[in-house]
Amino acid sequence: MSGALFSLDGFRRGARDGVPLAVSIFAYGLGFGLVAAQAGFGVGKAVATSAAIYSGSAQLAAVNLLQTGEATAWALFAAILVINARYLLFGATLQPWLWSAGPVKAYGSLLLLGDANWLMTMRAIRAGEADRAYLAGTGAPIAVGWLSGTALGAAAVSVLPRPEALGFDLMLPCFAAGMVTAMVHSRVDLLPVAVGAGAALGIFHLAGPAAAIIGAGLAAAAVAALMHRGEA
Amino acid sequence: MTQSFPVLLAVMASAAFLCRIAGFTLMRLVPVSPRVEAALRATPLGVMAGITALAVQQGGLAEGLALAAVVGLTLVLRSDVAAALLGVVVVAVLRWAGL
Repeated sequence: MSGALFSLDGFRRGARDGVPLAVSIFAYGLGFGLVAAQAGFGVGKAVATSAAIYSGSAQLAAVNLLQTGEATAWALFAAILVINARYLLFGATLQPWLWSAGPVKAYGSLLLLGDANWLMTMRAIRAGEADRAYLAGTGAPIAVGWLSGTALGAAAVSVLPRPEALGFDLMLPCFAAGMVTAMVHSRVDLLPVAVGAGAALGIFHLAGPAAAIIGAGLAAAAVAALMHRGEA
Repeated sequence: MTQSFPVLLAVMASAAFLCRIAGFTLMRLVPVSPRVEAALRATPLGVMAGITALAVQQGGLAEGLALAAVVGLTLVLRSDVAAALLGVVVVAVLRWAGL
């Protein structure tokens, strides 16, 4: 069944919403380009990495591993699997909505899936967004920002200000704080928020940031499932 | 034993792609009841709260104040995007001021 709406209009709507995020992703891309250049990557190699992996935290870990000179293919594969395990959760939460667009459009859209546009799309779905092209739309400006940021960062390492000085490293947490505030509509929503925050802080000490984010999502899902009353 | 960069890049790309599609594909096997739907809806709330909590814990006073400002501004301005962008300005100014 591929009856769900997938239109240029929805793509445009997503792209427009993605632009503010793309600005911060551009700055983050600068940061990655900088790190990659310092590790001896040229512009081409840095951009190829950003295009192929398309995930900042996984790329930084990969560059670190490659720098040691002892990185095997298996070590790199495992590192990316662990760091990007949260995408399993992202994909699962999008599935009921996205699958009705049909497999080609759905899997194609998932190529552009990232932390920021997953949050943005989940918010839009909650607000009633029916056009499945919205996800790919949010991804498009972000991809442009990520790749052009990487290229510029790798090419112009020495002349750029550090992204932290401009506050860009706090962009994703700022969006997260804003969106979670906007998405809480009733007291029922406060419980998964509190449980997610608590789980993240607790798990972080035991298992690091990647596990903390996955744990926060799973804990919120579990408490919502438990609290769900049988109606409708 | 180091392999050529294109081979390593292909391996890394396949790991990243696998993460993007595996959860989506496996979820097709799960029947979506209202209870499952409630869990899926709550997941981004937990993730966003987790991201925010970690940023507050790892950051200093500037980061905590900026994120608190984002929450307040979202309620006042009724636009989370505008509030988030202002939050970045707040943290940049506070850091510049040496906080």
